[in-house]
Amino acid sequence: MKTWIVFCATVSLIGMATVGQPSAAVAVDATEIVQKSQAVFFEAGQDLKARIKMTLTTRDGQQRLRELTMLRNNYPAGEQKYFLYFHSPADVSGTTFMVYKYPNREDDRWLFIPALNLVQRVAARDSRSSFVGSDFSYEDVSGRDIEADTHRVVRTEALGSRQTVVIESVPTREADYAKKLSWIDQTTFLPLKDEYYDIQGALYKIFTADEIRDVQGWPTATRRTMTNVKTGHKTEVVYETVVYNVGLGDDIFTERALRRPPEKWLR
Amino acid sequence: MNESAQAVPWLTRLSVERPGWVIAGTLAITLLFLTQFPRVQTDTDPKNMLPVTSTVRVSNDEVERWFALHKDVMVLGIVNDEGIFTQETLERIARITHTILKIPGVVVRDVTSLTTTDNVLAEDGQLVVRPAVAEIPRTPAAMVALKQTLLSNPLFVDRLLSKDGTTTAIYVPLEGGANATVIADRIKEVLAKEEGRERYYLAGDPVARDTFGVQMFYQMAILSPIAGLVMFVVLWWMFRSLTLVLAVMGVAMVSIIWSTGLLIGLGYPIHIMSSMSPIFLMAIATDSIHIFNEFGFRLREVRDKREAVLDTIAAVGGPVLYSDLATAIGFVALVTVAIVPVKIFGLLVGFGTLIILLMSFTLVPALLMLLNEERLLQETRSTDAAPSAWLSHLGEFSVRHPKSIGLAGCVLLVMAGVGLSRIEANNNLVHWFKPESDIRTADRVMNARLGGTATAYLVIQGSTEDVMKTPAMLHDIEGLQRELEKDPRVGKTFSVVDYVKRINRVLHQDDSAYDRIPDSVTEIAQDLFLFGMAAKPSDLDNVVDYPFQKANIFLQLKSWDAGVMADLLRRAEVYLRAHPLTGGATLRPAGIAYFNLVWNDEVLWGMLRSFLAGLVLVLILVIIQLRSLLWGILAFLPLFCTIAVIYGVVGLVGKDFDMPVAVLSTLSLGMAIDFAIHFVNRFRHHYAIEPDLEKALRWTVVRPGRGIVQNAVLFAVAFSVMVFASLTPYITVGVFIIGIMLLSAVLTLVGLPALIMIFHTRLPLSSEEMTR
Repeated sequence: MKTWIVFCATVSLIGMATVGQPSAAVAVDATEIVQKSQAVFFEAGQDLKARIKMTLTTRDGQQRLRELTMLRNNYPAGEQKYFLYFHSPADVSGTTFMVYKYPNREDDRWLFIPALNLVQRVAARDSRSSFVGSDFSYEDVSGRDIEADTHRVVRTEALGSRQTVVIESVPTREADYAKKLSWIDQTTFLPLKDEYYDIQGALYKIFTADEIRDVQGWPTATRRTMTNVKTGHKTEVVYETVVYNVGLGDDIFTERALRRPPEKWLR
Repeated sequence: MNESAQAVPWLTRLSVERPGWVIAGTLAITLLFLTQFPRVQTDTDPKNMLPVTSTVRVSNDEVERWFALHKDVMVLGIVNDEGIFTQETLERIARITHTILKIPGVVVRDVTSLTTTDNVLAEDGQLVVRPAVAEIPRTPAAMVALKQTLLSNPLFVDRLLSKDGTTTAIYVPLEGGANATVIADRIKEVLAKEEGRERYYLAGDPVARDTFGVQMFYQMAILSPIAGLVMFVVLWWMFRSLTLVLAVMGVAMVSIIWSTGLLIGLGYPIHIMSSMSPIFLMAIATDSIHIFNEFGFRLREVRDKREAVLDTIAAVGGPVLYSDLATAIGFVALVTVAIVPVKIFGLLVGFGTLIILLMSFTLVPALLMLLNEERLLQETRSTDAAPSAWLSHLGEFSVRHPKSIGLAGCVLLVMAGVGLSRIEANNNLVHWFKPESDIRTADRVMNARLGGTATAYLVIQGSTEDVMKTPAMLHDIEGLQRELEKDPRVGKTFSVVDYVKRINRVLHQDDSAYDRIPDSVTEIAQDLFLFGMAAKPSDLDNVVDYPFQKANIFLQLKSWDAGVMADLLRRAEVYLRAHPLTGGATLRPAGIAYFNLVWNDEVLWGMLRSFLAGLVLVLILVIIQLRSLLWGILAFLPLFCTIAVIYGVVGLVGKDFDMPVAVLSTLSLGMAIDFAIHFVNRFRHHYAIEPDLEKALRWTVVRPGRGIVQNAVLFAVAFSVMVFASLTPYITVGVFIIGIMLLSAVLTLVGLPALIMIFHTRLPLSSEEMTR
């Protein structure tokens, strides 16, 4: 039965590959589907520049707004560098954050605190912790190692108008979830929905890709929400502008740039 | 006989003519009410004494929402006298924490233990965020380093870790509606599997509350039948007639079943207070003993059962009616309390009392009619002589020394007054358990070693957004915290200030000079932003709201006494008058300790007010029934003295006026007046026939007095069972009821004759005044 589903999923995915989407390719098993999905979701293009608006909403409807510019560059062997510049809230404006991301080892992170004129290395051992107080964890923003979970195809099903393959991921390394289900678009490989289950087997967090736009040929989730169903807290992320392949140089991802961020990339 | 027949209500006449019908009818109605019993629902949460819509609950809910706080948090203390910083103990803490996370009903994301809480620290020039105990050190040096690191973080000390490093706590928040007892049992199962030198203590309001709820029903289920059984034995010893005994018990059962059946039928849950109603109704039902006592005398006099029944009811009907009415009034007066479960309890017992009254005029005469006349005559004769001799001595004494008795009474009242002035209204849920019980032991140990098991919040409400990022406001909050910590019963306070100071220090290479509030708004804002990026967001949410307009000071208190919270609020008020908050910000208390304070005030003072109202109503009732102000006051005095002495003793021994004591006062009201009503009515009745003051008094002490003594003894013996309860409120109830009954019987039999002797010239005693 399971083999049959995997076979069907595989066949349908092979079928999709011929449509010519940027990242669609032959996928033979769950791990490969997740790999594809991560590639489209976290690594699209050579680089990326996005102006992001993040809205944190409590159960009561109280809100906190964070506006930031995100710059990202891809490097060989799956390495990535991120540069984040916070525009708002006003009193933290000018705070910058830089991450060197390496597959299968801890990231390097730096933070610049303008009020102290201090660049601080941050050893966040824990990539599962919240990203700037939101419902997204660092992993949700920059991806989790494929090997950190075992993946299996559960079923294929339609989600709205899209055909998806549902993948179950069970962590083999530390994680804040005990199980995750992902609905991955069979055509674009974008995750359309994730459900996170806690150690008691209860659903606690739901990710949804609410708006997907084609940006220079890359399907991009320009609006996404993470909802904590237990606390009622949610975070909405809107990519107000997003451009791929802008030609980011390596000089942006330096301590110097953290202190004096290059103006032209922040506009 | 004709005379008596006219003097009794038609219902009694019917019961005497057609006892079978009446008994069958009563049984049928009882069965009808019994059919409601399977639908019973229970509510064991004392919190529900205040409705969900009450101001304090609405306010607490609001504060909990603002700061994402949990209503119910259990605390597991783990103690290793040689220090918890050993591989074995740390591994155990990690294992226990992990297992607790899996228990359904536990809020996974917010379980706080050394292995789940993040520590923010400076290490090798880096800002490090990781669980306090992320890895268990393998070398002694690393272990010492870890111990030092954790003990140097003021956010952990006294909350997660004792200063001496021997105790840690795991805070376990519960989902709404989760049953703390069930979860506590699961945790105990987990602990039972651990072998080692560690000791474990489970504390916190939900544990006490739910354990009490479970225990309460358990105790009631055991104690009520035992009390019933004891009453049965004592009654049999008094009357040697199974039918008589069954009659008293039957009256009690009928009233319990009717009133409880009605309550269940109307869809109300059985609450803590209502669960005590069976034992109360059983006590009140003993009033019918006056009927049996008088019936015994009458039967010997007239030697005709039917006539004896009618004569008895004619003689004691009035006192029975008015004493039951007084009891009912005492309970129904609870309706004036704004608290629904108290109202329901009052109405429940009030209704039950009226049923007892109805039964006294129907079921009791009907049952008496079924008695075997010959056997009864023999039986009653055999148990006659002894108590009468004893009582006649007592009567003689009272009549001979009225002035000395009056003086003694005055001295007693003065002493009671001293005690009354010392009485303190206080409800402490943990003290509802015995000192050596698990819950109290846990509470004691945790309070000695950590910051305290009781939690309160002080919410600072600023007038503008972002005010909580200003140095001025943070200094205000810090000042208030230091002020509150001067009270030795405050074991720990923490607020957004402590986080800001921590981050500030960490960002300055752990330099203790920077363990302070930064001087600029932007610095504070960026420290907080960094904290939000580094640690668990809800940690910050717990102490400051989204617009940074409100801040929350956590207080850990070492006592559940409502008085502690009241003292702290006074201290805060005085301090803030001298040091007003920036921008006219205001203070609002919340949390479970504050809830207990409000509960204390509303429930206890509400009950006290209704008790005073009941006292006045009873006084009015007695004046009306006796048609004389002076007679009313005289009859009221034994009750008044009893209550004064009982509560004087409560004050003198330093016992708190808590919920069980408050409930008792209502019962004592109804019960203690009974004796005086019987005494005065029977005395006046007899005096009208034989107008010799001393003789009539002696007769009253001996004859109706016998009923009074029997009633008091029966009552006291039945309630002595409660002394063996494992919950202190029941012990209190037991001891005090025994005290109230014996004291009011003695005060009635000794005090009233003395008072009548002293005031007889001013009392309306002539036969024309007395006849109706």
